[in-house]
Amino acid sequence: MDRLSLSDAAYAALGAGRPDAATLAHLRRAALSRHLLLLREIVRAAPDEAGPWYARLCAEERTAPEQTRARLADPLFGAWAAHRLRALRHGGPRPAQTTEPHKTDGRHAARAPKDARRLSVEHDGLTLRVRLDDTDPRRALLGLVPADRLTAAETAHWQTCLTAAWRLLVERHRPDARILAAVLELVVPVRPDPSARGISATSADAYGAVAMSAPADGTALAVGLLHEAQHSVLNAVTALFDLVGAPAVPDYSPWRDDPRPPSGLLHGAYAYLAVTRFWRAEAAATGDPLAAFEFARWREAVAGTADRLRAGGALTAAGARFVDALRAEVGTWLDEPVEPRVARLAGHANADHRLRWRLRNRAVDPGDAAALAAAWRRGARPPRVESRLVPSPRRALENSARLDLMHHSLRGDTGPVTVHRPGGRASAGDAALLGGDHGTALSAYQKGIVAEPADDAAWTGLALVADRLDRLEVVVAGYRALGARPDPLEFASWISG
Amino acid sequence: MPEDAEPEWRSAMVDLSGMSLAALTDLTEDDDSALAQAVRRLADDLARPGEPIAGFNSAL
Repeated sequence: MDRLSLSDAAYAALGAGRPDAATLAHLRRAALSRHLLLLREIVRAAPDEAGPWYARLCAEERTAPEQTRARLADPLFGAWAAHRLRALRHGGPRPAQTTEPHKTDGRHAARAPKDARRLSVEHDGLTLRVRLDDTDPRRALLGLVPADRLTAAETAHWQTCLTAAWRLLVERHRPDARILAAVLELVVPVRPDPSARGISATSADAYGAVAMSAPADGTALAVGLLHEAQHSVLNAVTALFDLVGAPAVPDYSPWRDDPRPPSGLLHGAYAYLAVTRFWRAEAAATGDPLAAFEFARWREAVAGTADRLRAGGALTAAGARFVDALRAEVGTWLDEPVEPRVARLAGHANADHRLRWRLRNRAVDPGDAAALAAAWRRGARPPRVESRLVPSPRRALENSARLDLMHHSLRGDTGPVTVHRPGGRASAGDAALLGGDHGTALSAYQKGIVAEPADDAAWTGLALVADRLDRLEVVVAGYRALGARPDPLEFASWISG
Repeated sequence: MPEDAEPEWRSAMVDLSGMSLAALTDLTEDDDSALAQAVRRLADDLARPGEPIAGFNSAL
């Protein structure tokens, strides 16, 4: 029995996000092999329960081999099989409709062309065919809450967006369009997340499936599908090779507001490698400052994350080879020119995210904060205080009124700023920061903090313009313990020595 | 990196894609066989707590 293997050149191309057709076919064989292995283990784990339906499945394969194989290769079959085997081995929910693939598939997979919606788009010789599934109960296994059955208008919106997305991808991102056509099989519409403008997900057990809320337009769908296809490809790679070996220590992720383990950082870097490439080509084709901003922002984030993964020591040999290829790919883009104002804002956006992440996820013990306050009052040197990581109980999406303002500015909008965030507002400091008037911005942030020491946005703004990006959470905790409200910049300078 | 003259990355997964369902459950596994290793790797995967990769803000 042959092991699935890849040449080093094919493996490196995968790491660079540029797999060829043969490699993608290899990943599809790997996914089917995994489904079959799951099926075998289910039958072995529960022979009394599985025996009868497995016998029927074998009989079906003899009479209709291609159709049966297609059902077994379906991403939702993989999701179901993994779910079922986990439940058999480790306990857990056992919904009646998912205990027997024969019935489940009979209702939902075998009849998919009738029950689900088949979308097909063709442009300039390339075709994308996907199933838009709003009926199969197994679709909930992808991890997000499925949308209700689509209305005719909602289905038409998906078709319109997919047509526009495919035209854009084929015309300006043809290599990525080819990859997407080879990976994507299924899109499951999901309910929107009130804290995000668009949400999407993949499951490690369902290669080629994407769960996604209704896209805003073709561009959003195009970049969202590229992003999720990367996750799906990486899921297939990690089913073949162990990429991370050391215990998972959560760390900073430029894409999330919560700490992420090395495997999550790798997923983010790999998904955003495709996103970066998308915006690079968009910026070159259109000259759009917003596209250039996204390109400038994500190339730094991908490269930085790859560097931290390599330095962190958690990667296996296979993981190191993969990340090296990823890093080499993004490395070729780092020196490409970006208009200075756009580059400055992209740098601010990344630094702002890191500062907010620290305030959110790193805590200072109250006793240490009180010791800092006491030393300040005495006029003594500050004691050395360290913060500690406080793992977030759940995932957190990026949420920044300042980022909204940057997007607004880059779009060239001249009307009043509308910030779609709870409690979000564009401060005078932020307006000055975006305009490059750091003196006015600094003054505004100082006044804002003195007026309200709990204003995290003012603190991160102050750190940005004063270029004091180190241990902001310690500065904020000490200041809030003071009771008095001195100049926050003076206090920050005192702590950093 | 494998020590072969021609570098190759050999996975823990065996290629079952051409196997019939009838043959699938007849497979036997020795402790050190490729199939046994694939089964153990699959068990490890399933035992790990997973989460969907979610949270992409696709609209600007």
